Amino acid sequence: MLYIHDTTCISPQQTLGDIDIKHLKSADGNKMMALEPSYQNIPTPVLRRMGKAVRMSVGAAMPLLQHFKPDGLIIGTANGGMEDCIKFLNQIIVYEEGMLTPGNFVQSTPNAIASQISLLSANTAYNITHVHRGLAFENAILDAIMLLKEYPDRGFLVGGVDEISSYNYNIDNLEGWYKKETVNNTSLYLTGSPGTIAGEGAAMFLVKATSAGAIARLRGIAMLHTTDENQVLAGLEAFSNKYLLPGERIDLLLSGENGDSRHLKFYEICEGFLGSKTAVGRFKHMSGEYPTASAFAVWLACTIIQKKSAPAQILKSPPTASAITNILIYNNFKGNQHSFILLSC
Amino acid sequence: MSRIFVTGMGMVSAIGNSIADNRHALMQGTSGISKPQFFSSKYSDIPMGEVKTDTESLREELGAWEQGVTRTMLLALKAFKEAIEDAEISFSSLTDETTSLVNASTVGGMCLTDELYNDANKHSNGSEFLASYDTASVSLYLQARYGLKGIINTINTACSSSANAILYGARLIKSGIARRAIVGGVDSLAKFTVNGFNALHILSSGICSPFDEQRNGLNLGEGAAFLILEREEDLHGKKVYAELTGYGNANDAYHPSSLSPNGDGPYLAMKKAVDCLPAGASMIDLINAHGTGTENNDEVESRAMLRLFKSPPAFVSTKAATGHTLGAAGAIEAAYAVLNLHHQEVYASLNFKQPISSTGLTPVLNYEKAALKNVMSNSFGFGGNCTSLIFSKV
Repeated sequence: MLYIHDTTCISPQQTLGDIDIKHLKSADGNKMMALEPSYQNIPTPVLRRMGKAVRMSVGAAMPLLQHFKPDGLIIGTANGGMEDCIKFLNQIIVYEEGMLTPGNFVQSTPNAIASQISLLSANTAYNITHVHRGLAFENAILDAIMLLKEYPDRGFLVGGVDEISSYNYNIDNLEGWYKKETVNNTSLYLTGSPGTIAGEGAAMFLVKATSAGAIARLRGIAMLHTTDENQVLAGLEAFSNKYLLPGERIDLLLSGENGDSRHLKFYEICEGFLGSKTAVGRFKHMSGEYPTASAFAVWLACTIIQKKSAPAQILKSPPTASAITNILIYNNFKGNQHSFILLSC
Repeated sequence: MSRIFVTGMGMVSAIGNSIADNRHALMQGTSGISKPQFFSSKYSDIPMGEVKTDTESLREELGAWEQGVTRTMLLALKAFKEAIEDAEISFSSLTDETTSLVNASTVGGMCLTDELYNDANKHSNGSEFLASYDTASVSLYLQARYGLKGIINTINTACSSSANAILYGARLIKSGIARRAIVGGVDSLAKFTVNGFNALHILSSGICSPFDEQRNGLNLGEGAAFLILEREEDLHGKKVYAELTGYGNANDAYHPSSLSPNGDGPYLAMKKAVDCLPAGASMIDLINAHGTGTENNDEVESRAMLRLFKSPPAFVSTKAATGHTLGAAGAIEAAYAVLNLHHQEVYASLNFKQPISSTGLTPVLNYEKAALKNVMSNSFGFGGNCTSLIFSKV
C-alpha cells in the first residue's frame, strides 16, 4: 500500500505555496507554460545551468526534502531536458560537428533530473528514471509500490516531470497532436476539433507504506497499451473488480480529456461505465497535455482530498461534488497508452 | 519470493550478430572496434564499435517494413527475437498479461540526427520518424509488433540504463506483477553521443585500453541485448543459463559527468548487490567491470573494488571488444556474465599493458577455463547512476 505524505507541484496554475485551484489561469497560444517560482533554495550558479525540466523538478522536490531523507529518488519523465537536447543537436548541425561545449549534452539526459536532486540533497540511495512516454510517471509509481512492499519501513520521493520545448512542440505539432486553430485553455473542451494544447509541470510526492499523517492512499494503478476503447472498458472493469470493495463506488472521476475529438471516445466509455453517481472532473485545461500530466492529476486529487471538495471549474458533471472519498484518474496519452490510478482519503 | 532464472538471451554487437557469434569472438579475443563503415560523421575516423550490418539489410532480414522504423528499433528487434526464440516463449505466453518488457535506451531514434534537426526546427513537413525519436519508441515498437500486454517500461539512467532494466524486470517478478520479464537495452551510434563524448574529451583515438595506466578514453559502440527472466516455478525442466541472485542501485551524488574520487556510488551499488548473497563479497569469482577506458572511471572503479573486496577477485572489461554501447552496455555485459557461468570460462580483457599506478590492479588477460559460481557485472553512468548485478551458476 502506498500512502502520499506530502506533495508539491509546479504547473501552469497557482499550485506551489499559496495554492489556488478555484480560479483558472488562462493561457493563449496553445501552450500552457508553468508558473515558475523564484527558486530561492537553489544556488544561483547552479540554477543558471539548469534546463527548465531540471529546474522545475529541483524546485518542486527540495521543499519536500528539507525534513525528510528518502530511501530512493524515482522520476518519471518522457523527455527530460528536451530543450537542451535539441540545442546540442542544433550545434552539431550548425557548427558541422565543430568544437562544442558539453553543457547542453550533460543536461539533456533525462536522468539529469534525479541526478541533480540526489546531488543537491546528497542522497546516494536508489535512483532511477522511467522514460516510458505517456506511462513514465505510472511506472515510477509502480516502482515505489514494489519498493514499499519490499521495505515497508522506508520512504521514497516519486516525481513526474516534462517541459514544453519549442522542439518537442514542433515535432508533436507536425504529427498532428496540437490544435491547428489557436485555442484558449478556458474553451479547451468546446472545440470539437482534433488536437490539444501543450502543457508542462513537475509534481513530486513523498510516499510511505504507513498511514499516520498521510494525505491520501494510492490503492491501485493499472496501465494499458491499446488503441481500442473496448479494451479500455475491459481494463476499467477489471481494475474496479480488483481494487474496489463490494458496494464501494468512485465519487469522482478525474478524466484526462484533452479537447482532442479523436480521443473523446475513451473518456466517454469510462464515464458511461462509472454511471451518473460518479462526478466527472477534468484537469487538462489546468495543466495542458504532456506525457506525465497524470502526475499533475495525482497532485490535484491529493489537494481535493485535503480540501474535501472539488472546485466547480474542474467539474464536467454534475456542477458540485462533495464528500469525496474515492477518486479515479483515467488518462491516456496519444490514444495508445492508458492508465487508471485509484486514490482514497 | 520467487528465484529468478535466465532462460534465453539474444544479442547484436560489434563482435557478432548473435549470442553464439559474440561468444566465439570473446573466446578468440577479437575486437569489433574499427573505423565505422555505415555511420557517417565528421568523426568517422575515430574507431567505434559498429554493428557490422547496415540498416537496410537489418530491415530486410527482419521484415520490418513498418513506417518510422529506426536502426535502434532494428537492433532491438533482432536481439529480442533471438532471446524469445532461445527461451522458446510461445505466442500465448508472450502476449500474456504477466509477460513484461523492460527496455533501456539513451539514444532512441536520435541516431537520425538530420531528420530530427529538420523536424524539431520546422524545416520539414514532417518525416516518417516523428514518433520514433524518443527512447520509449523502441519498447512501443516491440509492444505493437508482438501484441505484448503486460507491464511495458523504458528506463534511461545513461550508461547504467539496461542494468536497471534487468533489475526492474527482476523486481516485477519478485513482487508478483510479472511471471516473466524480457529485459535489456539498445543504442545505436549517433552524432548526438559522438559529439557529446567528444566535447567532454573522453573519446579515445585508438582502441580503448581499460584499466591501463596509459588509457586515454572510451570508444562508442552500438548494439542490443535482451535476457528472458523467468520464475523458478515456471521452469518445468526447461533450459536455464544462470540465476539472477543479486542487484544493487545507488547514486554517486557527486558530479553530473564524473565519479567521486573514492567511488561512493560504485562501492554502494556493488555492496548492495553482494549483500544479496549469503556470504557477501567473498563469494564473487569474477567481475565484468564497467571499465570504459576513461581516466576517471577505471581509477574510481578500481578504488571501489579495492574498498569492497580488499583483494579484488578476477575482473575484466569487455569494452575494448564491443566499445561502450551506452544504454545497451548493462545488458550486453550481463549476457557475457551469464556466458561466463554457463560455459565456465573467462574472456580476456583486451589491450591492457600496465596497471594504473595508484591502484595496481591487473585484469584477466587471456581466455581461460575457470570454476565460476558468482559473477558480478557493473554499470555506472552519468548523473552518478550506478548499478551492479550478480548472476550465479545453476
